Amino acid sequence: MNNFVSEVKMEYFFLLKTIIIISSFTTLLTIIIIFIDSTIGNYGIKKININDKKIIEVEGGKPLLTTLISNKIFIPSACGGKGSCGLCKVKVLVPDKKQILPTEAPWLSKEEIDNGYRLSCQLKVKEDINIFIPEEFFSIKKFETEVIEIIDLTYDIKQLTLKILNNEKIEFKAGQFIQLEVPPYELTEQSVYRAYSISSDPKFNDKIELMIRYVKNGICTTYIHKYLKKGDKLFINGPYGEFYLRDTNSEIIFIAGGSGMAPIKSIIHHMINNNIQRKATFVFGARTIKDLFLLDFYLDIEKKLPNLKFISVLSEPKVEDNWNGEVGLVTDVVKKVVNQTENLEAYLCGSPGMIDACVKLLNSLGLPNEKIFYDKFA
Amino acid sequence: MKEIPNYKKIEENLKPGKFSLEGFLGNDNRSLFDIISDDKALILQLNIDIKEIITRLKYFRDKGFDFDGTFIIVDEKWKVSVISHRGKTKCPFEDKGFFAKTEINLIYLPKNIEINYSDLSIHLIEEHGFFGGKGSLYRLEPEILKIALEL
Repeated sequence: MNNFVSEVKMEYFFLLKTIIIISSFTTLLTIIIIFIDSTIGNYGIKKININDKKIIEVEGGKPLLTTLISNKIFIPSACGGKGSCGLCKVKVLVPDKKQILPTEAPWLSKEEIDNGYRLSCQLKVKEDINIFIPEEFFSIKKFETEVIEIIDLTYDIKQLTLKILNNEKIEFKAGQFIQLEVPPYELTEQSVYRAYSISSDPKFNDKIELMIRYVKNGICTTYIHKYLKKGDKLFINGPYGEFYLRDTNSEIIFIAGGSGMAPIKSIIHHMINNNIQRKATFVFGARTIKDLFLLDFYLDIEKKLPNLKFISVLSEPKVEDNWNGEVGLVTDVVKKVVNQTENLEAYLCGSPGMIDACVKLLNSLGLPNEKIFYDKFA
Repeated sequence: MKEIPNYKKIEENLKPGKFSLEGFLGNDNRSLFDIISDDKALILQLNIDIKEIITRLKYFRDKGFDFDGTFIIVDEKWKVSVISHRGKTKCPFEDKGFFAKTEINLIYLPKNIEINYSDLSIHLIEEHGFFGGKGSLYRLEPEILKIALEL
């Protein structure tokens, strides 16, 4: 009996000893993890020297793009920092490493890498850095807006009018784009950002218009088409982009399809405001008559800009459409209307497929890439 | 050496509202590992090759890309339309690469079979053997692919 009791006691002490050892080991591990997290994982305060003009102190370890945004410095980005647009390039002067991550490789040319360019959304601020960013980025701002109008331009394209709040003004060049922040809604858990070209007249700086086409299964466009209503508040930042009318006397060919009309419409407002009477042709492609919109607007424009001709072309007109205009692809009409490329500039906006086809065609007609302009986020 | 995928993380990415509104799993209750393994077995059973599937899917995509959503007839048996949207999308498996946002609609005329896919679906099959969960918008059934692509 005594032997049994002492055996049980021994087993009890063995178990207790084991529990104490395991608990001590776990506690020690936790302390080590906390220590590592607060030392190696914590980069502390780092300095970002911008253009040798401004030094900001930031919490280290976060992506450069979001770090700059939190300091009200906006770098162009169409994807909101996911590394999927390649727009947020900055030149890193110090440290002079010229190394990139695999996620940056699709977006940077060898020349850019050699010159120290990085994608700011992929580069984490783990040490003091010196960067160079173009001066115009300092004029990019975040704006709070209110939806004051939503119009159905077609069955799948809506025109949004956003009023800029807090007495702020947005100064943009006709053709530029903004980035729209879609807040989390019942189908999503986090904000998403998408780039949209401004379609409105640049002389109005207290509001902007956007044309947004519905994308099946798209997080952002589903929100805009099915959830957004008049009076809702939205944040935007911008303006961004190098797609604007060049100050030359060249003849112009504008080519667009669907919501790609947006920046070209804004450029045409700019031409009216500044009485730019350059010879211009606007070829607008759609599938059927129900994909066409703002036809009356362009009739009126042709009166104000007599050297501008608007041509719409349908690729699949239906019999009941009674369409007696151009039939085919935009490229078919472009082939017909371009009769010289010596003194021509082309401005394109639309789907990547349309842009690819038009660039190939224009190149084959003799127009060099330097005279063909389109948004890089396409 | 091929990296072992972090299925838990990827499954999260494949859920609705993460990388796309409806997600990639549909109403499939199987684990991602099981979905991929079952389709792998099915492909073997159907005696088709993933490389052949990819070649055909890319062929029709490339034929239609420049036509901006307009239906074209390919090789007298297929009708294809490719709508491309601005911007690019990332793979929910978080590997390298970004994909054009495309909606490809392919109709195999002899049997009137319609399939819908995207540049991302081509990548998901090619790199990850993932055809989508049952009931998802872009699920590509191997049996249907065998017929529609004449494999």
